[in-house]
Amino acid sequence: MVKKGFLVLETGETYEGRWMVPAEIKFERAGEVVFNTSHQGFEEIATDPSYFSQIVVMTAPMQGNYGAHSEVWESRKIWIEGFIALQIQNTPREQTWLQTLVKAGVPTVSEMDTRAVALRLRSGGTPWGALVFAEDSAQAKVKAEKLITDKKKIENDWVHLASRQQVETFPGENPQGPRIAVLDFGAKENILRELKKRARELRVFPSRTPAHEIQAYEPDGLMLTNGPGDPTQVQVAPQTVQQFIGKIPIYGICMGHQVLALALGAQTFKLKFGHRGANHPIKDRLLERIYMTSQNHGYAVKGETLPKDAQVTQVNLNDHTVAGFYSEKNSYLGIQYHPESHPGPHEATELFDFFVQKMMGVRQ
Amino acid sequence: MSKRLEIRKVLIIGSGPIVIGQACEFDYSGTQACKALMNEGLEVILVNSNPATIMTDPEVATRVYVEPLKANYLEKIIAEERPDSLIPTLGGQTALNLALELHDSGVLAKYNVRLLGADPKVIRAAEDREVFRGILDKVGAKYPRSEMVRTFEQGMQVAQNLGYPLILRPNFTLGGGGGGIAYSPLEYQRMITQALFESPTSEVLVEESILGWKEFELEVMRDRLGTFVVVCNIENFDACGVHTGDSITVAPQQTLTDREYQAMRDEACKILNEVGVETGGANIQFATHPRTGERVVIEMNPRVSRSSALASKATGFPIAKIAALLAIGYTLDEIQNDITKVTPSCYEPALDYVVTKIPRFAFEKFPGAKDILTTQMKSVGEVMGVGRTFQESFMKAVVSLENHAEGFPSIPLDADKLAVPNSQRFYQIYQALREGRTVAEISEITRVDPWFLEQLQQLTEFEKVLSAQELAPDLLLAAKRKGMSDALIGRLKDRTSEEILSLREKHKIFPCFQQIDTCAGEFASSTPYFYSSYWFQQSVDLPFKSPIVVIGSGPNRIGQGIEFDYSCVRGVKALRRHNEQVVMVNSNPETVSTDYDTANILFFEPLTFENLREIFRWIQPKGFMAQLGGQTPINLAPALVRAGTPLLGSSLEAIDLAEDRGRFSEICRELKFHIPKSFMASGLDVALAQIEQVGFPVICRPSYVLGGRRMEVVENESELRSYFQRHQAFISTEAPCLIDQFLEGALEVDVDLVRGRDWMIVGGVVEHIEAAGVHSGDSMGVLPPQRLKKETCQKIEELSMQLADRMKIIGHLNLQLAVKNDQVFILEANPRSSRSVPFVVKAAGVPLIDLGVAAVLGKSRSDLKLQDYDWHKTDSVSVKGVVFPFRKFSEADSLLGPEMKSTGESMGRGKSFGEAMKKAFLSSHIKLPKSGEVFFSLREKDKTSMLEVARELKRMGYTISATRGTAEHFTRHGIETLALRKVHEGRPNCVDRIRSGEIAFVINTTRGRTSIEASFDIRRACIDLGIPCITENDAVNAFLIALKSAQAEQLNVGYLPQVSLP
Repeated sequence: MVKKGFLVLETGETYEGRWMVPAEIKFERAGEVVFNTSHQGFEEIATDPSYFSQIVVMTAPMQGNYGAHSEVWESRKIWIEGFIALQIQNTPREQTWLQTLVKAGVPTVSEMDTRAVALRLRSGGTPWGALVFAEDSAQAKVKAEKLITDKKKIENDWVHLASRQQVETFPGENPQGPRIAVLDFGAKENILRELKKRARELRVFPSRTPAHEIQAYEPDGLMLTNGPGDPTQVQVAPQTVQQFIGKIPIYGICMGHQVLALALGAQTFKLKFGHRGANHPIKDRLLERIYMTSQNHGYAVKGETLPKDAQVTQVNLNDHTVAGFYSEKNSYLGIQYHPESHPGPHEATELFDFFVQKMMGVRQ
Repeated sequence: MSKRLEIRKVLIIGSGPIVIGQACEFDYSGTQACKALMNEGLEVILVNSNPATIMTDPEVATRVYVEPLKANYLEKIIAEERPDSLIPTLGGQTALNLALELHDSGVLAKYNVRLLGADPKVIRAAEDREVFRGILDKVGAKYPRSEMVRTFEQGMQVAQNLGYPLILRPNFTLGGGGGGIAYSPLEYQRMITQALFESPTSEVLVEESILGWKEFELEVMRDRLGTFVVVCNIENFDACGVHTGDSITVAPQQTLTDREYQAMRDEACKILNEVGVETGGANIQFATHPRTGERVVIEMNPRVSRSSALASKATGFPIAKIAALLAIGYTLDEIQNDITKVTPSCYEPALDYVVTKIPRFAFEKFPGAKDILTTQMKSVGEVMGVGRTFQESFMKAVVSLENHAEGFPSIPLDADKLAVPNSQRFYQIYQALREGRTVAEISEITRVDPWFLEQLQQLTEFEKVLSAQELAPDLLLAAKRKGMSDALIGRLKDRTSEEILSLREKHKIFPCFQQIDTCAGEFASSTPYFYSSYWFQQSVDLPFKSPIVVIGSGPNRIGQGIEFDYSCVRGVKALRRHNEQVVMVNSNPETVSTDYDTANILFFEPLTFENLREIFRWIQPKGFMAQLGGQTPINLAPALVRAGTPLLGSSLEAIDLAEDRGRFSEICRELKFHIPKSFMASGLDVALAQIEQVGFPVICRPSYVLGGRRMEVVENESELRSYFQRHQAFISTEAPCLIDQFLEGALEVDVDLVRGRDWMIVGGVVEHIEAAGVHSGDSMGVLPPQRLKKETCQKIEELSMQLADRMKIIGHLNLQLAVKNDQVFILEANPRSSRSVPFVVKAAGVPLIDLGVAAVLGKSRSDLKLQDYDWHKTDSVSVKGVVFPFRKFSEADSLLGPEMKSTGESMGRGKSFGEAMKKAFLSSHIKLPKSGEVFFSLREKDKTSMLEVARELKRMGYTISATRGTAEHFTRHGIETLALRKVHEGRPNCVDRIRSGEIAFVINTTRGRTSIEASFDIRRACIDLGIPCITENDAVNAFLIALKSAQAEQLNVGYLPQVSLP
């Protein structure tokens, strides 16, 4: 018997689809509802900690086509609270994406009007919502309301929830490279992979690590990773980062970029429906280049609030929001999008080289 | 803005007549680019020899030259116009090669013309496979092992090194011309000889086989600052081994992981940079191993292409327009995205739907041609289906082919057709799945990726559910969501499609219309570019009320091609000028009509009653036009009228009068017009019984034919028997065979006219060069007529107008007439715009389509300045040339007959008939040798009439050879003639002499099945070697006239005058 699945938004809209996972209560979840326009890379997206507490609607209709491969995971688990697509491949294969989602307990719905959801999110912003199975939308609404209310009680500092809670040290692949401290806000694996390729050693610290613990490691540079949620709710990290400004090179990506801005005394704001996809054009004013970038963020930095030494070097060409800033004087770089890609285009990977060169400069 | 101010006058070269591999996609690209450049205030000089294009309408560019695409003509145009720049990337391979030639010969330097978009280095890098491989090595990309072969002997050595099967790719040819796959040494020997000949540089890349690998294509763009975007990634359903133009393709790609895809994207960017493409579009083809994922590069083209047209339609990203703007200095971030109007063009479109392209073939037109697909393209057209899912888009594409309303009818399974790629294979795959063959099994045989097969299997499995269960609303909706047509559902449920429609109406199961918006809904878009889907609700409101719908012509096929898209686009523009809101519906991604800004609203949909009915249900049009898109809309009109939408222009009654042979003959008799004697026969016995009242020769055709399908001239009783035997499947009591008196030797003419409510205007009379018996689409034509007596021509016009009055035509009427012994016969009437209309419009300067629209909109004589238009006042002569695809079908005969075989047309304009004729031949890629040996092989009755021709050729300096009988006859009459052996008379024979390149051109007339077969090798040799072979008496005289003009070496060019519009 095919079960109906419902996406219920806190604002009252419901969308019906086909419930693809077992009809068990443990599969019903709430989260912030967001849409992503990438054509492929569903696995990387689902395992990206920045999607913590989010239900992801894929606008590309055919998902799961090429099966599942855990080696492309961007962290150790699936973070999303729900996966919605028009069609999800479900034929006998060795390993399917659907099986993976079932195993991870992620509510999954197909045959939903994903375009209608995307248009709703585009025009009305990204609300909370829940994925439930039900007989009809009235029943779904009742179930969803409770889930959403409960979910909203969670800790506001999502970064803390997505971050490692223990320090971890990894050997790098470049013996001549720098020692890098990584402040983990919910790091994507590929940031660490890119750093490992270039570093002598990495040490990854939990998000609320105080500055002195990091200082004790005597790093050549500080990497602030991506992560979920509202940057203004992140505790400790802005103060920690402040201690390093002007002392060692700092490189922030996504949430890291936003926390860096806060540490500099700048402000952030919530975007109407965020940027999530693999086709966002960015103009790099320093190199006079335009990159196609992978993006996933719901907040952005107010450029005019940045300190004088910070230059807005990169701009999102779709809506002209700040996509990156840089201070030559104090050697910090914030990048709003994902130069580490996975999923998405690789064009901005060179920014890791830039960061590493800065650190090497400082060491000499 | 970074537009380069020093660019003021740009020359654009079109792609010439439609041939397989280079079709109307270049009209789409060129038209779009011209428009963009004109908007920038630049002067645009356009050269194209194809009159059936929108781009050659005088208002598209500053000046339009319909002249041969040959270096000497272009030089002359450059000398007269003095453009400062040339964009060579918009007219396919033809334009690229010409630009290279003009560069190499120093013409561009002499006149200070810059190449924009691609310089010679880039063109060479992409086209010269050795240079290209060097580039691939440099960026670390892999490619199949291969060697460049320049001689036969070296070729044999290379084959030994690489092993079979081998892929042959001649340098600098289009559509993989002359290439193919050789499985054995025997095949290889034949193919390498041909391929070396086909390559203009006598170079053939012989490559190890990657048959069975998965094939992908990236459509990319780059601006001068290095910004790189992938507009569209396309995956081939068919594995490597089938030319991508002949493959079913799907966008976006479906089976690559993000890592695989991004690696491919990175490589494409590196290649583009290394090749040195500074600005513009390009496509790069890749293959990946189905198991190991190993990736190789197949090729790249640094220009807009067939696939870039498809990519533009699939995504809403206007590649040609943007390529033109990038060429004059803009960067991608400076150009707005036309669809969203808020975001820049430096982005990669996000799709929330799937498109499927399926090619359409014409093997049935070429008896003897093998229906096997290889690396040489053979399809003549294509369709695109858009749906929310792959299944929906695939099924819509299949229906769009207009082969069968069901999409997938039940067919007998044929193991051979499954094993080898061919035009019918996807039907076989589907049928095999229906009959329970497994995905693994079929994947093993066909190498189609299991993902695609699983999708199809879900469809066939669903068919079983559908057959077994009661047709509840939910089940019906599910079927529609799988893209199944009412006709298919009907067959599975043993009901008619009408019953399924009423069931849908009862349960309100209707499709909704979704927007193609380039961004998957991320940004608001107001561009009304729609497709239908049964998935969910409408996401957009109808922009306005009571539009007029123009129904397009669907996939290009022989008999219905770009000419009808021309009519549609012109018609849409005219309607818009009259302030009508216009809706365009079409399924052909190559066309100008499916550009999102041609009409006010564009629907990319199959041209079936079902799909149009649903569009009409939503938009509630005030009427639809069926006169512009050829036979497809005419056939749809009755059902659409019955369903309640008014037909604009000529009524159904007028259509019926023209289409129904019986009724048509009746009105002709009533008006006392001569028509060929005829009768209808439901079988051979009737035919034999009544043949005497008509008398041989006769022309036979089944009812309801397009492009003269199965039409033949029958000379005697045994041929009549043979005809009925061969075509018995198409002849019945319901669809009897029409048998007409054949007016042997008659002069044929085409008349195109427009009739309004109180006015009428003849656009022109085109006189055919070939006598009756050759399909009008295949014969050359001239306007104004050269042989017709003035009073006969006048009479023809009068008769035509009388007939139009009698039929109460409103809008277009096309008539075919024949003149024999000063008597005018009416052969056929088409109550619509015709294939000849674009030629007539350009030759006579009468804007027929615009007038047709005025007629349909009810404009009266006083509203129009009809005195401005008079085709008789034309002071130039225009000749329509034709282009045939025989080279692509190596087993087919090039003899012409009542069945149409040409793919395209050209136009030669001149002050004299000779000059126009010369240009028409040149434009149709027929050489005009100024000296050499002319070989005659004639049927008995032509031997005397050709004496004068031979004598004339002798006077012009040619030498003459002929088969023995003819040679003796000629010699007897004082013409020195070399006698050659016929093929069966031993060797060396005449074919050996042709193949050794010693013959300049051939005159070969023949009649009757046996002698046709006997002389086949002569014609085939001519085709293989590109030697002119004239097979019709009247064409011989025309060729002679052209030769004389060519010998005179005078070279004039002229642009089309602007025409004032009604």
